[in-house]
Amino acid sequence: MVISPVHYIAVPLLAAFTIPLFAKIHKELTRIIPGIVLIYLTYVSYVLMSKVMTTGPIVEIIAGWKAPWGINLVYNGFSGFIASLMSIMGLLIWIYSYKFKKVDDEPALKFYILFLMMVAGSIGITITGDVFNMFVFLEIVGITSYSLTAFYRGRDGAEAAFKYLLIGSFASVFLLLGILLLYTHVGTLNMAQIAERMHTIPTSVKLSIFVMFAVALGIEAEMFPLNGWAPDAYSQAPGPVGAAFSGIVVKAGVYALIRIIFTLFDIEGSLQFLIVMGLITMIIAEVSAIRQTNLKRMLAYSSIGQMGVVLIGFGIGTTEAIFAAIFLMFNHAIIKGLLFLSGSFLVYNDDKKQIASLSRFGKKLPVVSFLFALGAFAIVGFPPFAGFWSKLYLLLAAADKNLIFLIAIILMVSVVEVIYYLRVVGKLYFGKEESKIEPKKPAFNSLIVMLILGAIIILVGVYPDVITGFIHNAADTLSDKATYISNVLPSL
Amino acid sequence: MFGDYQNVVTMSVYGSSIALILIGLYGVLIKKHLMKIVIGLSVVDSGVNLMFVAVGYIKGGTAPIFSPSVIDSKPLMVDPVPQALVLTAIVIGFAVTAVALSLVIRLFKHHNTARIDQIKSLKW
Repeated sequence: MVISPVHYIAVPLLAAFTIPLFAKIHKELTRIIPGIVLIYLTYVSYVLMSKVMTTGPIVEIIAGWKAPWGINLVYNGFSGFIASLMSIMGLLIWIYSYKFKKVDDEPALKFYILFLMMVAGSIGITITGDVFNMFVFLEIVGITSYSLTAFYRGRDGAEAAFKYLLIGSFASVFLLLGILLLYTHVGTLNMAQIAERMHTIPTSVKLSIFVMFAVALGIEAEMFPLNGWAPDAYSQAPGPVGAAFSGIVVKAGVYALIRIIFTLFDIEGSLQFLIVMGLITMIIAEVSAIRQTNLKRMLAYSSIGQMGVVLIGFGIGTTEAIFAAIFLMFNHAIIKGLLFLSGSFLVYNDDKKQIASLSRFGKKLPVVSFLFALGAFAIVGFPPFAGFWSKLYLLLAAADKNLIFLIAIILMVSVVEVIYYLRVVGKLYFGKEESKIEPKKPAFNSLIVMLILGAIIILVGVYPDVITGFIHNAADTLSDKATYISNVLPSL
Repeated sequence: MFGDYQNVVTMSVYGSSIALILIGLYGVLIKKHLMKIVIGLSVVDSGVNLMFVAVGYIKGGTAPIFSPSVIDSKPLMVDPVPQALVLTAIVIGFAVTAVALSLVIRLFKHHNTARIDQIKSLKW
């Protein structure tokens, strides 16, 4: 069997809908099959990434219709890197949640079906080369995210999910109208062909299409002011789902937004637009984070803030800045993953998920607290952890373009970030009185995942070279629009 | 005379699709009852779908079905792509409405009310 990018979508979707049948054969298969699928996807990522690094991008034609007419998948340095990141995060989250709802098999079944569909949809958004296909995948991700947000009946998940659904429906309406307007002007849905014909559209029409796309995709990418769903959804969803949101779903949203801006539209000022939106997102999110008393809400706001920094990085627009932004996306996936996974154990037995209840947990849960502290130090960018390098490269890239004002704001906001993360870490180790809440001991498989993530953070922090080769390739691919078009449409 | 009639029909289709979108938005933004919000969402969807079909329509075009006899006569056909997109969009809209309705049931059971101004466990 030849390994191709289409396996990323076909295998998890097939597995998601056949798990109920396998569950009839043996109950344990419900939990094992998603793991087999995700291990296979990681293997596919390994094979395809090594192919991309040696021989260049892979363009997969679906169902025999060539590029401008049919749907095609583009697996190049950038989309491949993000897709690989998503499948690895999916695998880690599967290991973490292997004993999820151990006592009761039916919720576990639903959880894994939705989770696999969410991974398939997010990877689909990244590797598709067709605008309408992207809309379909965005809706798959949307519907599964709403359902996963409302997963626990006891919490206020339904309320958060309904809010998310309302915002998400607006996103889909805007995206549909944008696609409609685009189609009437260029007569094609293929991204490469749209990029090629974009100059024929009058600027005013181009601008309105761009606004529709930016609003629709900004919602998944947590861009201000479209991120009202995020804190509620993160705080009400189950712990592993929070990690999946920040590691997989939001990455897909940011990817789609960046792909639209860099490949489809060449509008004067769209990069400045990214910088401004990124700055506002970052400042508002980090200032809100410092006011939170709920740990998961705090992590959610921090996640929004980090996405703001990523948007600033892409907005600066030089290859170095794009490199820094992609590095930051990678770091955010692993570090925020660790923070959500360890954090959900810290507040497991507290219904309100209060930071105050974490007092002196360093003694009760030494390993989890240590890993949470490691994640907190890494995300604010202390050396020698992974977060240090991405922030350093971003500031260097900003300095190259003489954006001193930008550097000042990023550093000031970093101080805010340090304050609220160290407040939690301080509570963990030097809290005034011992918390009355008995912590939940982490299961073995969850502990392994957190240790793996912690090890990756330190490894990337000490030897950033293990990952920078891929990221350099990704940054080069993204900024080279002509090659993207000629890869997809070789005849033109 | 026939041409004018066609124009009126086309314009009224565009007009009603925009009207549907606006009515739906009104329902989503102003109404306080969860069911009315969900109905509003699905009205917006219908409006967008209608607009898709209207955009793909070519004056005097026939159904875009390909057959050997068509090759010789070369009749004017309407654009098949928007129609294919609308089919997909209808299915997606159906799925979103189903999820929304199940969330409304959950919210109603949890709070014993279906008015959003009375559900404020989270900050709206």
